[in-house]
Amino acid sequence: MDFRDTVHWLPLCIVTIRNLGLRLAWYFLQIIVSAWYSISVVGNLFESYFVSCGILKKYKSLHLGNVRYLAIVIESEEAYQISKVVKLLQWLDSIGITNVCLYDMNGVLKKSKETIFQKLKKAKSIEEVSEVVTHGAPDHMTLEFLSYVDGKEAVAKAANLIFVENLKQHNLGGELDVQVFLESHLNEALQIVGSKGPAPDLLLVYGPVRSHLGFPAWRLPYTEIIHMGSLNYMRYGSLIKAIYNFTKVHQNYGKFSLY
Amino acid sequence: MTMLSLRLPISLVNSVTPPNIRITLSSKTHAAVVSKRSSATALPSLSTRNEGASVSGEVSEPLPAELAAELMPKHVAVIMDGNGRWAKLRGLPASAGHRVGMQTLMTFAKLCCSWGVEVLTVFMFSTQNWLRPKVEVDFLLRLYESSLISTIECMKMEGIRFSMIGDLSKFPECLQRMIISAENDTKHNSRLQLIVAASYSGKYDVVQACKSVAKNTKDGLLHLEDINENIIEQELETKCTKFPYPDLLIRTGGDLRVSNFLLWQLAYTELYFNSVLWPDFGKDDFLDALSSFQQRKRTYGGR
Repeated sequence: MDFRDTVHWLPLCIVTIRNLGLRLAWYFLQIIVSAWYSISVVGNLFESYFVSCGILKKYKSLHLGNVRYLAIVIESEEAYQISKVVKLLQWLDSIGITNVCLYDMNGVLKKSKETIFQKLKKAKSIEEVSEVVTHGAPDHMTLEFLSYVDGKEAVAKAANLIFVENLKQHNLGGELDVQVFLESHLNEALQIVGSKGPAPDLLLVYGPVRSHLGFPAWRLPYTEIIHMGSLNYMRYGSLIKAIYNFTKVHQNYGKFSLY
Repeated sequence: MTMLSLRLPISLVNSVTPPNIRITLSSKTHAAVVSKRSSATALPSLSTRNEGASVSGEVSEPLPAELAAELMPKHVAVIMDGNGRWAKLRGLPASAGHRVGMQTLMTFAKLCCSWGVEVLTVFMFSTQNWLRPKVEVDFLLRLYESSLISTIECMKMEGIRFSMIGDLSKFPECLQRMIISAENDTKHNSRLQLIVAASYSGKYDVVQACKSVAKNTKDGLLHLEDINENIIEQELETKCTKFPYPDLLIRTGGDLRVSNFLLWQLAYTELYFNSVLWPDFGKDDFLDALSSFQQRKRTYGGR
């Protein structure tokens, strides 16, 4: 091999070795990051277990004053797992949450209402109670069931109600006033068309997507939203942690400045 | 800087905030820094994609290899929270945080232009914010005026169409005139529509839509029996754009709520809550949000 061949061959060799080295380094980094990720997952599992067992003291006593009304959104495919839904409600009952709103887009939970009430002897429907008890310790859990029709369609119905009332007044000789629409009027009209429940303080989303899937938007302006993952993998510890973290939140509703 | 990224095989379930892991090899430090991201396992191509230049001729920021151009959200909404806290952490007045926040917004808008986002809606000032101390409100209004003056040329050069939604009647008249002028001057731009929500709330939007519907009914343009949710949707303030429903909502600052922003429009929007304060929200944070978005299985309610 003469000198010219060596000069030509050497850089190629160096480049090949360098690329091999980079590839090995890349695979090594993948292993490290995968390991770190696995440790994270296991760490979360352990934390959830410790929270469930009451080992982590800070989660032992929850101050639920801020959680007057809790909403649960479940992706409709997962909502068919009624036993899991009942288990979730039983956990909430054991924690001390008394007012719960259940939502799924397609109304699967609404159709399973009777089954759920059979399994939760102490629970009552929001229609049965004259007023949702948001203070003190009621002896029963109040459940509200919602679906897509209670969202945008309810607002359209409420708006229609106001239009009809206004038109009646116009026909009786009054002025047809388009400015009649105020937020307060829409609130009242929503109550009349059946959208009675209050705005939830906390909304937990169970499902693959981080979206509230059409939960009645009119009730969500200042609701804390937490994505809990799939219902298939729900854990008591994660539930406690989510509620605990919410109880530490301070809301200023946009009014106060600075910090 | 060379970016190497990977998708991790184990899905984290039941986590409130999923960890994202990114590995970067900095050409300056020659050290691997494990931060937080996760994406594709394949070795990324080191070739860059040129998304085209702006009217000014500047080369756009290329779309990172971790992102798929066909999965980019068409409409991104942002709640820009954290200006005041950012300033406090640095011992600065809140006004400094708001000024830097404005700069961050323009940088972010240019990034959206480069990466193929077509509509960007930002929550600048809510109806509740009018209840803040007058000193702060007056400062914010002056800041909006000066920002509009200083950025209008930049928007024209970048091909950004400016739109504003909200109850503008509460703004000083000179600011109202400036807003209308900016909207007119940029109405033919098509690279990005920047919608600024000011003096806005989701409930205000629904109420004004209902008022519009009532007026149309009064004027005989609509019959009562035809009124449904679709009719109301057509009168929302986001009718100014062809993509009124955000695909992705980013909220910075750590809070986990939508704060009365685009209530009607957010039904199937992917919600991404980030603890970074808005003035610090940069390219890497946006990349994290987009990666998270592109990994989600969106069902649009499956109706």
